[in-house]
Amino acid sequence: MSGNSKNSDHVNLLSNQINIRLTSSCKAAVCIFLLLLPVFTLRAEPINILTYEESPYALMVGKTQKGLLVDMLAELFSRTSLQYKLRFIPLKRAIITVERKSGYCVLPIVRSQEREANFQWISPMLVSRYGLYSQEKRSIPLVTLNDARPYKIGSFLGSGIGEYLTDLGFDVQLTSLSALNLQKLKRGRFELWAEDLISAREMMRKQGIKFGRPELVFYTSIRAMACHRTMPVEQLKELHSALLSMYQDGFMKALYLEYGVEM
Amino acid sequence: MAAFSMRFMVILLLTMLPDVLAQASALQKKTAQKWTAQEFQPSTLNLSEQMQEMSWFIEASKPYQGMQIRVVSERIATHWYEASVLAKAFFEITGIHVVHELTGEDDVIKKLSAQILTGQNIYDAYINDSDLIGTHFRSGAVVALSDFIKAEGADVTLPSLDLQDFIGLKFTTGPDGKLYQLPDQQFANLYWYRHDWFNRADFKSAFKSLYGYELGVPQNWQAYEDIAAFFSEDIKEIDGQRIYGHMDYAKTDPSLGWRMSDAWFSMAGVGDRGLPNGLPVDEWGIRVEQCRPVGASVRRGGALNSPAAVYAVDKFKHWLTQYAPEQASELNFTQAGQWPGKGIIAQQIFWYTAFVADLTKPGLAVMNSDGTPKWRVAPSPVGKYWQGGMKSGYQDAGAWTLLKNTPLKRRQAAWLYAQFVVSKTVSLKKTLVGLTPIRLSDIESDVMTERAPYLGGLVEFYRSYGREVWTPTGTNVPDYPGLADYWWQYISQIIEGKVSTQTGLNNFAAAVDRHLARLGESAPGRCAPMLNPLSEKGFWLNRSGSPKPAINEHPAGKTLPYLEAVDVWK
Repeated sequence: MSGNSKNSDHVNLLSNQINIRLTSSCKAAVCIFLLLLPVFTLRAEPINILTYEESPYALMVGKTQKGLLVDMLAELFSRTSLQYKLRFIPLKRAIITVERKSGYCVLPIVRSQEREANFQWISPMLVSRYGLYSQEKRSIPLVTLNDARPYKIGSFLGSGIGEYLTDLGFDVQLTSLSALNLQKLKRGRFELWAEDLISAREMMRKQGIKFGRPELVFYTSIRAMACHRTMPVEQLKELHSALLSMYQDGFMKALYLEYGVEM
Repeated sequence: MAAFSMRFMVILLLTMLPDVLAQASALQKKTAQKWTAQEFQPSTLNLSEQMQEMSWFIEASKPYQGMQIRVVSERIATHWYEASVLAKAFFEITGIHVVHELTGEDDVIKKLSAQILTGQNIYDAYINDSDLIGTHFRSGAVVALSDFIKAEGADVTLPSLDLQDFIGLKFTTGPDGKLYQLPDQQFANLYWYRHDWFNRADFKSAFKSLYGYELGVPQNWQAYEDIAAFFSEDIKEIDGQRIYGHMDYAKTDPSLGWRMSDAWFSMAGVGDRGLPNGLPVDEWGIRVEQCRPVGASVRRGGALNSPAAVYAVDKFKHWLTQYAPEQASELNFTQAGQWPGKGIIAQQIFWYTAFVADLTKPGLAVMNSDGTPKWRVAPSPVGKYWQGGMKSGYQDAGAWTLLKNTPLKRRQAAWLYAQFVVSKTVSLKKTLVGLTPIRLSDIESDVMTERAPYLGGLVEFYRSYGREVWTPTGTNVPDYPGLADYWWQYISQIIEGKVSTQTGLNNFAAAVDRHLARLGESAPGRCAPMLNPLSEKGFWLNRSGSPKPAINEHPAGKTLPYLEAVDVWK
């Protein structure tokens, strides 16, 4: 079940409760309304969560939101008193929106030292390994990341791993969407493609392209949900506590397995 | 017939196996010889001793050949050398493929915490600052290496590891006497200044006439401030270029917190006497009784919002706004690190010697044509609350850390790599590349004597008592990952002018007290926090030691010539 449908049910229920009480007695209704106001305000303002299409983590199938992260979010919020709305927009725009607007969060993004102070964080949401893929017919043996220095590496705009490689002085070519990189690698526009292993496998499957195993799995990132800096401490605590419980009771392990990945 | 053929093949293979293995072993030795001769020079071991170590690694690694191990460390020159050169050598010599990832130290800590929290084996080993020793020995999640090397790690522990040769073991040992981490690299925070400018006759004469004493290495904060004013406001320009008497950074960023927690408060004199961190109150302002943290706020016996702490932060802010380049308040640790090399900074109260390698590159504005630097490092000046016998500054000791939730075989393979990169075979070469020494044998070597004139005082520091009194965060801090974030979050509010220094530090101390209380409740134990009751502020300020009452006098500035200043280290 997507998080959206769950949330709208919840809001409607609260609205109905308030309507009933208003018709019975105006005075009582005002009192009740005032009493309920903090709860209502809290619950009537769902947290806007922004994500981007990255199969199998998050994707739109028709009008339905699907994927590992979509399921994870539904479970996470079901363990709290909070509501959320999930929307898909490009990563770069999502990050800028969350930096500027309160009540917004974006996931999954790399929690880096450079980004640390710009957001409030819910973490760890995803542990991702990144690999360097070469063309199927061209083997580029890599023992260390430094061995990749002579080559052009493809990544996408807003990607944490692209920024990481750029900072280290690698020649990184950025596209607007990660999925475009497969064709670019195939056509030899760059020699290596940097991508998260799970996403890469899924994109190759979808596009019917086989690059095989990565030449080197060179980096691990803890991906997190980044929220606007003004996110109330109570909400953060509630989400952290729910997330921790999902690791502790084995939910996360089971969820990853459902998507064919061992934690 | 098929069964016979199969049996024959098995017998044939078994007959050939010793030859195949011997050939493989010979190939590994040849590879080790190549690396030893071409890369691992110089070394404090002779070639034959180096090959003995390499032969041991080849043999000990056999059960782990073909494995891929994943480790992580922060991003400094030493670790880049390990990740790019030593990991490759280790792979070719042992057959164990190590992916040595590099990231920010803050991220290393977050990953380590995530592995403990989730139980997922994210890495097989971490190079993690020994600042976490107070967290590690309390957590129960970290392998005590002193136990490991006697038990399940015995067969994979290098006989010539020579633990006593490591200068930083005291930083990685818990109050229980157990060794939790093995140092991999160390660097200190020292005073940095332009030796050539300080020796110019015209500047010396001008300074004396303006401030009444000699221009030299400042011994106290008043002298540092006078010198900052002298270069930023009196001299202003050298050869038509704007120059500054002070450099710092203050961007709202985790590194702003380290600026404070690494040394600033210890130099100001916030803590107590006693090494390595001050007892019972350390440089974080946390008081311990026995091994229990009992509070950070003055009303609980701590010093985080004491007059000394207010003085420390006020000076930081004043110097930043008054004497540093305008951009400084928007820079972080990494960005600010490049500034001294531009040749427009006269002094920096403390500077990470991890940057020595970067600042001795030929052609830089701060280098002479003969390859010697125009700058020197010296002991940092101290604030008016500082007293003899106190910690004098910060030293970073990045150290190998194994977690209990890493599967044993992976932990053993990672331990082999950890020892390889600190072994005597490679450590002197690694020290020359990254200039972050860990072994006394390297520091005392003739090679380092030859290099000393080119390193601006780094060798002199590491050969002195200074390496004992420049210390990392200590065992008073029970949850470094949880508490470290408070530093930059609360100090930035003061720097940005959102709150006064006293209010900001009051808020900070209260937050740390609350955190300590939560820790004590959630994980009670012999060394778990247990807060002192709230007392009247005067109760603790009127007792001896830290927290110290306000000192209203302003000591006169004091400087020393360079050679006398570094004598303090002896």
